[in-house]
Amino acid sequence: MNRHIITLFSGLLLSTASFAFCGFYVAKADVKLFNKTSQVILVRDGEKSVITMSSDFQGEVKDFAMVVPVPEVLKQDNIHVVERLLFDKLDAYSAPRLVEYYDEDPCYEPPRDYYLYDRMDMPMAGAAMERAESVNSVNYQVKVEAKYVVGEYDILILSAKESSGLERWLIDNGYKIPTGAKEVLDPYIKSNLKFFVVKVNLEEHKKLGKQELSPIQIKFNSPKFMLPIRLGMANASGPQDMIVYAFTKNGRVEVTNYRTVEAPTGQNVPLFVQQKFGEFYKDVYTRTWKREGKSVAILEYAWDVSGFVNQFCDPCVGPPPMLQDFANAGVDWVQEYHGGYQGNVFFTRMHVTYDRTTFPQDLMFQETPNKQQYQARYVITHPAASTFSCDKANAYLADLQKRRQKELNNMVSLAGWDAMKHASYPSEYNKYIKKSKSGSGKKQGGFFSWSSGTNGGQQLPVMLLSVLSLSLVFFALTRRPLKRS
Amino acid sequence: METTSPTPQLSTAARIAAPFRAIYDYFSGDARHYQVLFLLTFLLFGIFTLNWDMSLLRFNVTLLTCLAVQAVGIHFTTKDYSGLKSALISAFSLCLMLQANSLWTVVLAAVLSIGSKFLIRWKNKHIFNPTNFGIIVTILITRLFVEGGDAWVSPGQWGSNALLFFMVGAAGLIVLLRVKRLGTAIAFIVTFLGLTFARNILYLGWPVDHFQQTLTTGSLLLFTFFMITDPVATPSNAKARIIWAAMVGALAWYLSTKLWVHTAPLWALFFLSPLTPLFDRFMPGERFQWTKPELAK
Repeated sequence: MNRHIITLFSGLLLSTASFAFCGFYVAKADVKLFNKTSQVILVRDGEKSVITMSSDFQGEVKDFAMVVPVPEVLKQDNIHVVERLLFDKLDAYSAPRLVEYYDEDPCYEPPRDYYLYDRMDMPMAGAAMERAESVNSVNYQVKVEAKYVVGEYDILILSAKESSGLERWLIDNGYKIPTGAKEVLDPYIKSNLKFFVVKVNLEEHKKLGKQELSPIQIKFNSPKFMLPIRLGMANASGPQDMIVYAFTKNGRVEVTNYRTVEAPTGQNVPLFVQQKFGEFYKDVYTRTWKREGKSVAILEYAWDVSGFVNQFCDPCVGPPPMLQDFANAGVDWVQEYHGGYQGNVFFTRMHVTYDRTTFPQDLMFQETPNKQQYQARYVITHPAASTFSCDKANAYLADLQKRRQKELNNMVSLAGWDAMKHASYPSEYNKYIKKSKSGSGKKQGGFFSWSSGTNGGQQLPVMLLSVLSLSLVFFALTRRPLKRS
Repeated sequence: METTSPTPQLSTAARIAAPFRAIYDYFSGDARHYQVLFLLTFLLFGIFTLNWDMSLLRFNVTLLTCLAVQAVGIHFTTKDYSGLKSALISAFSLCLMLQANSLWTVVLAAVLSIGSKFLIRWKNKHIFNPTNFGIIVTILITRLFVEGGDAWVSPGQWGSNALLFFMVGAAGLIVLLRVKRLGTAIAFIVTFLGLTFARNILYLGWPVDHFQQTLTTGSLLLFTFFMITDPVATPSNAKARIIWAAMVGALAWYLSTKLWVHTAPLWALFFLSPLTPLFDRFMPGERFQWTKPELAK
């Protein structure tokens, strides 16, 4: 009878979970998990690039300003504003996730498994720059190549002859550029880059009546597939975070001038992590970043989201991108098809934490044919809801303790949390262990589902192959050359 | 009449050391042994320290295919099975550099690498560095069958740091001094880095650590000390080699700077390898041997 109630209740939980995931954000409680996080959508097709930048600017709109180096003078129809919702959707879809499993009751026929998801919310903050009235002057050697109004923004595209003139123009026009930015203006100017300068048009902003500033999207052609992060590096306030959502036709995007490493994934963690999953992942991320030498991009999600694919996520934390999302992001090779879409698309999510010393070069990317799917996923497993009143229970409980100890160890090695605070966690269920009359203490294999799948079927042939290879290597190394007469 | 001195008794230490001594002598008799050792070390470093996701199956397939093709080739040509050592080097290099989705691509790369040694020759010397040929041609061929191809190289897989610089540099030096190809490596790296420095630091004005990042990039160092320095697939004349290596450096710089090719050194080497026979024709030199005949026991 108990079992049926559990089934019903969990079933309800499941249905609410899939439609009301907004209610399960642990991280919503703490607003800024990662400081100064900006988000960028990168779309790359051959030499066509579409970059959409979202900065969560918190100050007065009249103080907002942004400077981005671009390879050409953009035309007005290559500049758009998009809805911030797009970023929220992509973040929800691809954020690192905590999944939940339930052990099968060792004493009863097992019911279904249930999955509850939790996810990381990563709000962003942008660098603030003040602006004043514009001053026109020829001796800056700065030419205003184009001037547009797009959405709520006034946009100028500048070309400069040399950096001190540009610097003075920017400062005189009220764009306070960070100290670190000065040293990159020269290389950008000499590389023939133009400067895409944005400020808010107060009239348009009032007319449009938006609460937050819209993300800006630019399209251009360039052989370079890169993000000019050097310009955005503020000096004093520490490292900045950036999440990159990349859409390409064929496979994963990776960084070519820095290492791309995968965030740790697939490990069991203790149950109490669920309440603090945001903090947990932040610590996991920071430890990984430090351990790998800080000059790395960390991969958090990579998935084939082509039209013909059956599974867009596993588990699904947020809805996968749809046709409209692709259109908004600038993925223009996808078409409507039977209510869905067709076209090959691969999605990559990378998280970069950078500052002046760890990233002396701008990020350069390449698209690879790598279609291997990846997600940052952590697992909690609830012990069985059981009376533990059968013979098999003791073996299960012994294994449970071992597993819980392992979960605690994983927590320490992943996030660096203190195990001493939870010293009683592994043995929490030991009170159910019955003293057996035979006292054999025989341990048998567990009855519950482990989260990590083992491809044990493949292990033996590969091992044999390795032995063969090793012996052939030895054979090759010991071949003496023939005597030459 | 000469008196023969009695054979001196070997001390215990010498007797224990004798087999190790013999192994060491054998090992150091062929520079390829060192190369295999170092490449294997780099591979293990990548897997265990850099946490590369490398499948044991792929590694085995590469190794076995390379050895098999080499064995077939040897059987029909020299019958000297010490040539299998070169196959080991090619196999490890392929594992280090080439990535692929499908195992068939891996097999293709191995077959192309070793096959090119036997089939693409000029005056009894193979023209292309086997691994280089295998990587480039596999990338190109898979693009004919699958959109975007199925094989790629990750230039960032090593990162950039000083430790790598010293490790690869030291290992490379040991091998290169033995095969007398240090000049090739230096000619290439000085040209490539010199042009990079001149453009990025002097002309564009990036700060010096921008250059330092390039200087200590693992994949560049591996290429410099272990690929372009292939003693056989390079011009035989020392001066010719320097000129040729400098040309590769210049082309690699051009490809990476003007055409934004991330794996420029590989492509530059591929395009300029056919010049080797030309250099050999007009600036002849002594052909390289892995082991000197008098050392072969």
